Amino acid sequence: MAKRVVVDPVTRIEGHLRLEITVDEKQNKVVDALSSATMWRGIEVILQGRDPRDAWAFAQRICGVCTTIHALASVRAVEDALEIKIPKNANYIRNIMLATLYIHDHLVHFYHLHALDWVSPLEALQADPVKTAELQKAVFQKYGKLVELAHDYTGLKAYPRKFPKATPAYFKTVQDKIKQIVESGQLGIFAPADWWNHPDYKKLPPEVHLMAIAHYLEMLDTQRELVIPHVVFGGKNPHPHYLVGGMNCSISMNDGNAPVNAARLGLVQTAVEIGLDAINYFYLLDLIAIADIYLNKHKWFYGGGLAKERVLDFGDFPDEPYSDASKTGDFWKKILYHSNGAVYNFKEGWEKAKYEEFNKDSIKDVAEYVQHSFYHYTVGDNKPLHPWEGQTIPAPEDVPPTPWKFLDPSKKYSYSKTPVYKGKTHEVGPLARYIITYVAVKQGHVKPSFVDEMVVKQIDMVSEILGLPPEKWMLSTVGRTVARGLEAQMAANLNSYFLKKLYDNIKAGDTQVANNEKFDPATWGPGIKKGVGFAAAPRGGLSHWIVIDGRTIKNYQAIVPTTWNVAPRIKNEYGEQRAAYEASMLDTEVKAPTQPLEILRTIHSFDPCLACATHIYNTEGEEIYQFNVNSACAV
Amino acid sequence: MGKTYWEAFKEAGISRREFLKFATYITGIMGLAPSMVPKVVHALETKERIPVLWLHGLECTGCTESFIRSNAPYASDILLNVISLEYDDTLAAASGILYEENGQMKRAGLNSHAHKIAEEYKGKYILLVEGGVPLGNDGRYCIVAGNPYVEELHHYAENAAAIVTTGTCSSWGGIQAAKPNPTKSVSAVEVIGGKPIIRVPGCPPIPEVLTGVILHVALFGIPPVDEMGRPKQFFGNRIHDTCYRRPFFNAGQFVEKPDDDAAKKGWCLYKIGCRGPTTYASCGNLRWYGGISYPIQSGAPCIGCAEKNFWDNGPFFERQKGIVLPNVEVNADKVGVVAAGVTAAALAAHAVAAGIRHMNKKDDEH
Repeated sequence: MAKRVVVDPVTRIEGHLRLEITVDEKQNKVVDALSSATMWRGIEVILQGRDPRDAWAFAQRICGVCTTIHALASVRAVEDALEIKIPKNANYIRNIMLATLYIHDHLVHFYHLHALDWVSPLEALQADPVKTAELQKAVFQKYGKLVELAHDYTGLKAYPRKFPKATPAYFKTVQDKIKQIVESGQLGIFAPADWWNHPDYKKLPPEVHLMAIAHYLEMLDTQRELVIPHVVFGGKNPHPHYLVGGMNCSISMNDGNAPVNAARLGLVQTAVEIGLDAINYFYLLDLIAIADIYLNKHKWFYGGGLAKERVLDFGDFPDEPYSDASKTGDFWKKILYHSNGAVYNFKEGWEKAKYEEFNKDSIKDVAEYVQHSFYHYTVGDNKPLHPWEGQTIPAPEDVPPTPWKFLDPSKKYSYSKTPVYKGKTHEVGPLARYIITYVAVKQGHVKPSFVDEMVVKQIDMVSEILGLPPEKWMLSTVGRTVARGLEAQMAANLNSYFLKKLYDNIKAGDTQVANNEKFDPATWGPGIKKGVGFAAAPRGGLSHWIVIDGRTIKNYQAIVPTTWNVAPRIKNEYGEQRAAYEASMLDTEVKAPTQPLEILRTIHSFDPCLACATHIYNTEGEEIYQFNVNSACAV
Repeated sequence: MGKTYWEAFKEAGISRREFLKFATYITGIMGLAPSMVPKVVHALETKERIPVLWLHGLECTGCTESFIRSNAPYASDILLNVISLEYDDTLAAASGILYEENGQMKRAGLNSHAHKIAEEYKGKYILLVEGGVPLGNDGRYCIVAGNPYVEELHHYAENAAAIVTTGTCSSWGGIQAAKPNPTKSVSAVEVIGGKPIIRVPGCPPIPEVLTGVILHVALFGIPPVDEMGRPKQFFGNRIHDTCYRRPFFNAGQFVEKPDDDAAKKGWCLYKIGCRGPTTYASCGNLRWYGGISYPIQSGAPCIGCAEKNFWDNGPFFERQKGIVLPNVEVNADKVGVVAAGVTAAALAAHAVAAGIRHMNKKDDEH
């Protein structure tokens, strides 16, 4: 018999997400799955008519978890439209802020949003603290060679300041604390107690639970130290300040009042070092230990879904400033992380997979559907629209009256649109980026940067440790989670790399952080200018699209990673297609339908961000900007 | 079930000495005088640990993220020892589960837990509210567990001891309420009536401001608030009044364009749009991350993110027009002209600055 279950609210995510599954109870099989974004704010409607120099502040509020990334994509879009090239220091600083975001966001995701799908504080109570200390040592011995890939480019880091404690006394103290909380009956964030009855919490030995819960607490305190570069360069976090043309944080070695001088860079240096430690000695090792047990002991290979078929990303980390993205495509000539592309059929292995580069000529191939979204198109809801001619006309009459029991998947059922590339849904995220970069390098499509080489080394090393080919372990919930951890390790190196570049450039006498030639809107001239800002956001490929008319924003759109993944299904000339969440749920076993922990584990492996997914768009009656698909890049 | 803080600390193996240190610390962050330490200790020993429910409407979760950035006490201390966070979309281990049984929708997981806690601690829990409240289309721009968020808000607000609106969205409406407000969003304050509500605006608020307010409510009840419900201890000063760049304003030394020579010297950002003169917040005195920085210190003009309708007060990089600066009789242009036009500029600036200081003092007295 099939059981229908709703998960709403999905917690340990950003925003409001509803999942509905139908489970065949005999076979523990998910026979249907639906994901619905249940919020809409209309930020892009609000952006219309405003000063493009302010767009980053509005766009940044799309999300306070992946804070910074929408500001970055926004200033990139405005600079692309206004043809502004930022100074070197601004490029390095923005890259440090991006790498810092990866480190922080990925680590917080693993420990505070995802870990409790694998480990339980109640199981930790069963652990032997002596054995847990031994486990910690064993983990280091077994997986420690991964840490050798960490690199401190600045050469200033003396020794690891954050390092896992492998003593029984430490684990005993943590265990006692958890015991107190459990016995008090006030479980707080771990409530309710029966949540932990799920049989999967027995998959790991109690000592793994205790080790991971101890690190959950330690990293809860450490995470705030990781984002200090945002506070130095952008004044605060969440929501550091950005600037069209560069950054606000002027550099001077002559003045103690300067936003950036040697003392301030010292704060950044320390944070970068802590990032290297936290990622390499805690995150990476805990992650691989859990992955190894789930894959090799329990053969838990569920959740691959759409990643087996189609993945997409746009690449990032320009080594040096670039002139534009949409006009000459210079962005893609400067990037270090060559995840810009699409890969098909990775399930057959890298040799048989199909790779396609994403560059300025691909811009025309991005579009969005609203077939099952709470919006209408004036051209009819079955046609896709390119983001530059995109429209969103909310369809309030199509939002079912409350209270909702179950949503009807044959109708409109989500505030998310359905983005497509070349007419098809794609999975985005760190896993997508790792698949694309790996295939691009292995098949010889790109001249690999040191970042690309590291990605390949990491994947090969993990494959060796796990004794599994990449396509076997990567194309799963576990693989999605591991790819994110590997990317955090890469970002920790990049943080140090760009900090060294910043030091060297300042030493060479260049202290400029902003190109302010076009700060005054009077310099922009009249007429329409359009631009696009691509970014490899922590949750996947992100693009912001802007049309400026004179001095104000005529149209602003964002196609956000979670939109790609959470999207409702569509049907077009390529058949019926699901987006990544629904596809991955259908690829996951569920033991107890009313306790769908496996579903949460799989969905959390995407790191959902719902405020990101639903924001957007044009209002009815707006003059729709006509975009000529064939000349997208020739403006 | 309810325990005092001291009982909870004892159980957690925290020494009396550590407990007193904690009491001294929180006295400071609540903006109370050192003479209040004994009173705080007494309160910690005798009051129950109050559960906290944290609701999320139309928001970006930036306020929650800010909260876990608390410098001291650490997030782990807050979550395990200071409050009992029983319901929160972001950190709660359990999700909400709904399923059909005998034709009825049954609640499980976090959904049943939240209802249970609200019943068990009727009139005793604190409700933290993050995000704006959409009223358009019968509230269906934000749906939680199958019902409009506005209904969830009413449900949990009804029996809360006090409500804290965290951030500008729940305090003033926030970004979704900026023109043209497509979802007809309002602040939580406009929806809930007849309850003590403490407004803690900011996009997001400073972590220790949130912590301080929660502790004050837990220990002493509602903190002293201004006429808009903002705690005076954190919103009593304009950023301008506490800004380390204030002397440059007084001296007429201004940044004219981002990253010009004046920017490198850390001069006043008023002319490139700084909202410090009209924004009440603790950025200037507390600063962020235990005093590391705030936007102005990082060279960015303040956008006034703790103020009502600040989103519609742009463009942010343009100087605020028509703003009457209390106590400053000369406007920034005149100060600048005077400073630049006189050979002994330093002397002139000093004279102006001294005059302003004098006027400020008078203002403080009334």
